[in-house]
Amino acid sequence: MDLEKSVQVSASGLRAQSLRMRVIAENLANADSVSAGPGGQPYRRRIPSFRAEMNRASGATQVSVTTIKGDRSAFPRAYQPGNPAADAKGYVLMPNVNALTETADMKAAQRGYEANLNAIEAARTLTMRTIDLLK
Amino acid sequence: MVNALGTLDALSAYGRARGVVTSSAPQPLPSPVAGSQGSGAEFGEMVASAVGQVGDALSKAESASIRQVAGKGDLIDVATAIGAAETALDTMVAVRDRVVNAYNEIMRLQI
Repeated sequence: MDLEKSVQVSASGLRAQSLRMRVIAENLANADSVSAGPGGQPYRRRIPSFRAEMNRASGATQVSVTTIKGDRSAFPRAYQPGNPAADAKGYVLMPNVNALTETADMKAAQRGYEANLNAIEAARTLTMRTIDLLK
Repeated sequence: MVNALGTLDALSAYGRARGVVTSSAPQPLPSPVAGSQGSGAEFGEMVASAVGQVGDALSKAESASIRQVAGKGDLIDVATAIGAAETALDTMVAVRDRVVNAYNEIMRLQI
């Protein structure tokens, strides 16, 4: 039945959004992770990319996460001469994580997850009401 | 599953009663389904396979729950599996109620 398939599609959305949530948590947790010594790279912000994917078994188009790639924007430099990761001039490469961007992304992931939850609930309510026709 | 077995009992009783009635009656009533001499048994098989499907759904939900409790599962898998099992069981129960009602109605017929 198509309502069952729609529950499966929404479940794939839940999985995708929860993975996005995980990546955002990783970005936020590593917002201050610098390299251990001079010349190293700090944490690079990661971005998951979603893709529409046809499920052969059900014929429904689900969502899946294809890759989690690094953000290619430049690392900001901070003047911290005492930091073990500082170069000869006293500058440290900081992660290219912006807490504000991550917070906005987190809200979007949260809303996406909630939307999928609501879709599952709606499909389930419709199924139950259809069963009630038999009673 | 006790209730479902009860349904099967009722069905086989219905099939037996139907057999007695048709063998004793000089002219059996024309059946809506052509060649339905064994249709009672076929219907029983249909119900049995439906019960089997519900059992499969329930065992799937159970194994997903067990994996989750063991810390290896996915919460989303558990939720969808339990939802599917619940739907299957509710459908089965609704159909069973209809069948039992029909059976009771037939048993109340005055011969």
